[in-house]
This record gives sequence, structure tokens and C-alpha cells, in this order.
Amino acid sequence: MALNAKWVPMKWPCGPLPIALLHKSKSGAPGLGQTLEAWLQPSTLEFLKGSPVNSLVIDWAAGGPEDSRQQRAVGPLLQAGRKLGISFVGRITVMENVARATAAARAAGLSAVILEQPQVQALDLPVILQFPRDQVEWRATSAIFSSTGNVWPGVKLKTMEGDTAIAGPTGVPWVNSNGWFSLLAREMAPGKVLWLDVDPPASVGASHPEEYCLAVADARVYASRWIISLDDEMRAAVLKRETRAMDAWTHMCETISFFESHSDWSAYKPMGVLAVISDFRGENAFMGGEVLNLLNRRQVQFLIMDRPRALSKPIKGLKAILWVDAASPNAPQHAHLLAFVRQGGLLIAATYWGPSRVKPYKYDWLFGYDVYGVDKGRIVVPEKGFQDPYEVARATHLLVGRRNDLVRLYNPATTNCYPSIDSERHKQLVQVLNYSTKPADYVTVWVNAGASSARLWSPVRQDSSVVKYVAASDGTDLDLPTFAVNCAVEFERLP
Amino acid sequence: MTRKTGCSRREFLGAIAATAGAYMARPVEAFSRPAPASPVTIGLCREYTPHVVDVLSTMFDQLGGLEGLVRGRTVAIKLNLTGDATDRFHYMPPEMTHWVHPQVIWATVHLLGRAGARRIRLLESPMSTVEPLPEFMVHAGWEPREFLSAAPCVEFENTNYLGSFKTYATFWVPNGGWLYKGYDLNQSYKDCDVFVSLAKLKEHTTAGITLSMKNCFGITPCTIYGDDVPEDEPGLFPNGGRGPFHGGNRLPPKSAPPPVDPHGWSHVPGYRVPRVTADLVAARPVHLAVIDGIHTITGGELPGYKGVRTVHPGVLVAGRNCVCTDAVATAVMGFNPMSMHGTPPFQACDNMMALAEQLGVGTPDLERIEVLGTPISKARFPFPPVFQSFGGLYTRRSPS
Repeated sequence: MALNAKWVPMKWPCGPLPIALLHKSKSGAPGLGQTLEAWLQPSTLEFLKGSPVNSLVIDWAAGGPEDSRQQRAVGPLLQAGRKLGISFVGRITVMENVARATAAARAAGLSAVILEQPQVQALDLPVILQFPRDQVEWRATSAIFSSTGNVWPGVKLKTMEGDTAIAGPTGVPWVNSNGWFSLLAREMAPGKVLWLDVDPPASVGASHPEEYCLAVADARVYASRWIISLDDEMRAAVLKRETRAMDAWTHMCETISFFESHSDWSAYKPMGVLAVISDFRGENAFMGGEVLNLLNRRQVQFLIMDRPRALSKPIKGLKAILWVDAASPNAPQHAHLLAFVRQGGLLIAATYWGPSRVKPYKYDWLFGYDVYGVDKGRIVVPEKGFQDPYEVARATHLLVGRRNDLVRLYNPATTNCYPSIDSERHKQLVQVLNYSTKPADYVTVWVNAGASSARLWSPVRQDSSVVKYVAASDGTDLDLPTFAVNCAVEFERLP
Repeated sequence: MTRKTGCSRREFLGAIAATAGAYMARPVEAFSRPAPASPVTIGLCREYTPHVVDVLSTMFDQLGGLEGLVRGRTVAIKLNLTGDATDRFHYMPPEMTHWVHPQVIWATVHLLGRAGARRIRLLESPMSTVEPLPEFMVHAGWEPREFLSAAPCVEFENTNYLGSFKTYATFWVPNGGWLYKGYDLNQSYKDCDVFVSLAKLKEHTTAGITLSMKNCFGITPCTIYGDDVPEDEPGLFPNGGRGPFHGGNRLPPKSAPPPVDPHGWSHVPGYRVPRVTADLVAARPVHLAVIDGIHTITGGELPGYKGVRTVHPGVLVAGRNCVCTDAVATAVMGFNPMSMHGTPPFQACDNMMALAEQLGVGTPDLERIEVLGTPISKARFPFPPVFQSFGGLYTRRSPS
């Protein structure tokens, strides 16, 4: 028995255990208890028929007296689910008697368990380890691992007036996305699959069902998976087969199927002229992670490098390196970095460790930084070290500059994009996400390359359509039709 | 005397005073002598081709040539690149809608260089950024290097912050100003012998029109006149737009010249924006105004407004006096440049040209302006009146 990377997971809260937790917390929408009871019924699984969901996450053990009742109560559900080809993953939130709970899970026919800490002893089932996302033990991650503390993707509510995005302090709507963390996971735990655990805010389904599609897309574009989680009202409405809820469910399934049918895109490599290097652990986790988050929000295309492994191969195609950590590079890395700078590269680092006797100068548009010219390149260092990730991201963006953009969005409003390329570096993909609940219109994708055979992919149409493209300022403009949540442009790069 | 425009000069001035009441006459002491009049030229130009150079060259010749104005001098050109670099009307690049076109910039720079300008500086205060101006242009899909080939010694400056200087330059408004006694600006506006406003022919949702005068609204740095500035000193970074100019919700830092009358303060944008504009062109005089009306938009100054659409007037307007130039351009747009508050294009605002006239900058009176080149009647391209959403009755409140 092994973890299956193709699982499409969904939370299936039901039974005595979540009901007991509900009573203890004295929260939840009216009628939620009945919904949790009802979802225990095998007949509820009917609405999954024909959907891409093939793995359900259920509560299994929390260390209380309800555990055994829960494990007995879900028996019929497990039996019915297996007949439908569904795998079950049990969530164990207690650290005592894990072996016993896992053995019970195996006996009941579960395929895996989710644990919050690695176990020393061997267990009877494969384990999906779950971490708070700022405390991921990257080396301990399982083939599938999960993070908590993620954000619900979308435009931050405080910057909305009704359905309209209003400007933030920099004039740009404040968009929440887990994209950067998915990219980080891809670098730090290569070959493994990240399940993002985040629940929707109350009543998302009732007011903006398209947000579910965005939660799916915000994970899948960056090659991770969202553990589907319906809000309380949506779960009740689905039970009643209410039209609006079922429409939302159908659209979400279309979005999942869209990505399933393009699973090859997950193998495409990220593109960027900027490398962000950190160990992203311990005291560096916050600064490193937040810089990635803010760079992504600024639509800066970057590659992530895990500091211990970074620069072990020659640097190709990079224009700039951001060395986030205060720790200096080791000797081989130091040599690589200096060679990179001498050949014209830009290095941004917390402290200066370049050649001595180089006198720094200033840019009038870059406050608080010293610039050291080293042969053809530059080393840029903050006067007081890196302190505020917002400032680090802003300075990095200014220094890397617009001329090195690989992709730009025109009329971006609340959209963002993720460029990637196939291993042959021939086919390029730009996936575009709309974080607003209003459709994105008149968005133009500019890419820094000549293009041919440009195709538009969208969950609305499972097949592709031709997209209009014209040569524009050393690249190509591709005009996107109006789209709701996500779409992708795939084209062949002209040499 | 009644004019063809339907408004006599006496009626015009009387109505202005009646509309603005005491605010109009106070605190500015109106010039006793008439504001100057200066010739304006109109050129027809259908597209952004190299032919723009020929048309502008002829127009500048009609104005008496550039040589006497610029030979051996430093020329600063305020461009009109408003809004974010990535904002577009539908799929159209900004130069075809709300930004002055690079072909017109290139032609102007080229002709200034040909006339002997020693140094030509392209200035703009791009939205919310300290990035160098060429970077902003690149972000919009432009190639700023092309401007370097237009003339010797072409430079760029982002004037939305302190830039490469150590201090801001203070420009005092003659006779005290309408809203502020003076304005602190990037030194680039001082370190020049000749100042050019290179604008787009557009309407404006707050100010009615945005031509060579309103283009100068953007010479003000948002580190001083923006939304998030410190109370005592200018900020380091420009954030957002010039909300305080529009709404009067806060004062500039104490380091900047103060308001004329903080106790007689209006919060109405239709009152404030035209006055700030008039103040600015009085404090920082424009020596040459050039307006690009070949392709543009109607319905507002930015692509995001409801009702905006593209139009193709195919016209260029230029003059040595910005009020006179804007008056002619306003007439080309089908409006009476001496319209009063409540009449298009000033349905919900005051007439900035009239306010500047009161400061002695120039006259909007078409009967006093010699129009050269193509007559207004042949160049006229009527714009529908823009919906002004920020207007309303003037209120009188102290600034918060």
C-alpha cells in the first residue's frame, strides 16, 4: 500500500468525532450537526459519481472517547466508498497511541493517515505528514505532505468595495495566493506532492461559488493540490441537491478535470531570471517565504533555490540572484557567485562579501542600499541588512527591472500569471489566474519571445482554441478573451 | 458684445464670480491688465507616422520657430503618461488612447534638438514608483532608447519624488495662488531654461478637460502631495495618487508651502483640481504647449471609466501659451473654452483656463487668439460631454 500522487482529496467531515468537536466549540452554523450526521450516510457519496474526486479525508482519531464511535460509525461509508473506487485517508490529531489508531485504520480499509508529527516506529499505513507552513520539516516530508496555515485565495476583503477591487497602498489590489508556497514546496521537496489544507470562509459557496474553482486553480497551477473543503452552507445545500450548489460543484469538478487532463503541465519547469536563495528554515523561514510571496504578488518571475543545494550546477539564463539569508555562502558557492557577478550578473545580498577595496555608490531611486561594481556586474547590499520583506521585494524588483521581464500582463487588475516551459524549452505555457469574483476582461499576456501556434486552454472548453497574437516590443502580445477564474496560453517559442 | 460662442466676456467673468462667489475673488488679487494672448497653431495629421515630424515642424515654424526659444538651452518636457503602465483601453496600447504617443514625443524632441537645444530632459511622475522613467516606459511596452536617437543629450527623470537631487525646488504662485501659495517640485522643473508640456487631447472626469495645463498637475511629487505622506517632511516613496489635491483631506508636509487659506478650504474636487492646475501653470510657466489629438479617447482621462471609447480626431495643437493653446484645443473638441461652471465641458467644475487667466497666465478668449494653420472649423472634432462623477456644490470646510 502506498500513497497515490493522483489522489484528488476532499475533506469529508462526518460522524461523532466532528460532532463532538462542534459541541465543544459551541460554534458552527445552525443545522451543522445534522449535516455532519447526514454526510455519514453512504448515499451521500452519490453526488461524487462522475466527479474527479477519488480520495476522502475523514476524521479518525483525536484522542477522545468519540474515537471508537467514529471509527465504527464510518464503516458503512467506507464500504460504499470503496465500491465507488474511492480511497480514504484518516486524520489522526493525537500523538498518543498513533500505532493503535493506524492499525485500526488499516483494519477498516483506509489507505493512509494524516499525522501532525513524524513517527519513530513503523506504522501499518502510509503517512501523509502535515505541518504548519512556516514550520515544514522539508527533509521529513512524505511523498504526499500537507500544510496548514494557508490563505484562502482571492482579493483581500478589506480592499474590496462590494464586488469591486479597490487600490491598496501601492495602487494594486491585495491578492492572497498560496502560489509562492507551492513553488517553494516544489523546490524544497522535489518529486513530492503538496496538499494545501485551507477551509473556505463562511458561506463562500452561497455568495461566490467561483471561489472554489479559484482554490483548485491556485493550487494546481503551481503543481500542488487543494484538499477540497466545502463551507457549512454548501455542504447542506449539496445534500439537498440545490441548483446553485450543484452548479458550483459542477464548475469545480470541471476545473479539477481540466487540470487532470493537463497533468503534463506539472512537469513543466518554472521560468525566471531571478534566483531567490535561502534555506527557508528556522529564522530564515519568514523572511524567505514572505519575500517570495511579495515577489509573486509583484508578478516578478523567479526561481527558488534551496541554499545548501544552490549553485551546484552552472547558472544559465539568470540575470540576478537574491541571497536572502544573513549566512554567507560556502566557498564553492562564493566562487560561483563572484563569477556570476563578474560576468555581468546582479547579486543582492544581506551583507557584502565581495572583493575588498571596492567602494560603494548609491542609486537615487534605491534608498538604503550600497551598490558595489565588480567587473561587469553589481553587488547590492542594504545598509542595515534585510529587515522588512516588503522593502526587500521592492528593491529586488527595482533592481531586476522591467527589461528582464519574461511575461507581463496588461490590464492585470486582480490577475496573476505563472510561466513555465517544457523540458525541451520549446513549448511555453503561461497560466493566468483571476483572483476576483468578477470575470477578467481585456487581459493581454506579453511574452519576451516570438511565438507561433498559440492556443488558449480554459476549463470552460476542454479543447483549445486559437488565440490572437501579434509581435510587440521585442516579444509577443497575446490577447485573452474574458475568463472567469483561470486559463492558459500555450505556444511554441520561436528561436 | 455677444460672441458666436454664446457668452460675452462680461457675462463670462460675471458668471465665474457668481459661481465661485467670494472664493473666486479671494485670496487672489486679479491682474489689472488683460492676460496675454498668443498664437496657436493646428495641424492635421491622420496617423502616427514619420509624417508627424513634418506636421510639427510646420506648426513650430508658424509659431516663429523654435530656435530662438531653445538654442543652447536646457529643455524640460513634461510627458503625459498618466495611470499605471499596464492600464489599457481594451487591448490597445496606451499611446493610442490616453498617453501621448512616442512618435509625437520623438518628433518634438527631434525638432527641439534640430533647433539647437543643448539638453533635453523627458520628465514624468509615474504612478506610485521611484523606478527610473525608462523602466516605466519599458513596462508599458515602449522602447525608451528610441528617444535617445531623436536628438543629442536626451535624459529622463522620474519627478514623482526627490530623484537625483538633494532638495525640492519651491515654486511660488504669483499673487498668492488659488489654493496653495506655492508648490515644492522636483528640481528638474527648475533646472531648465525652457519648459514644454506635451499632452494628450482628452476630457477629464473631474476637471472637464485635460490638455497642456492639466498635464502639469502631474509635475507635483506624490512624496509631498500624495495620499500617504508624513506630516513634517516629504516621504521617500510616492504612494498612490494625488488624493489630497482632489479631496483636500490632508495638508502637504509642513516643509511645503502652505495653503492660501486653510480655513476657507473646499473638499470638492471640481473646485480644487482646476485651481491647483491654474496655480501650477502660473508658478511653473509653460513655454511651449503641444497637444497630441491624433488618436485619443473620449469619456474620461483613463481607460477604466465607464463610457470611454476611442476617437480619431487626427489633429495636433501647439502654442507658446498654455491657456491659449488649451482654449483652441477645447474649441477643437467642440466646447466653448469660456464655458462656465455647469456648462460642458465644465458641468461640475470650474474652468481652469479662466482661473489661470485670473492669475495672468493667458487668455482663453478665442477672439484674442490668432489661430494659425488649419482653422478650428476644419479641425473640429466634437467630443460628447464627459460624465463628471466628482462634482457637486462647493462646500467650505477646514482641512482635516
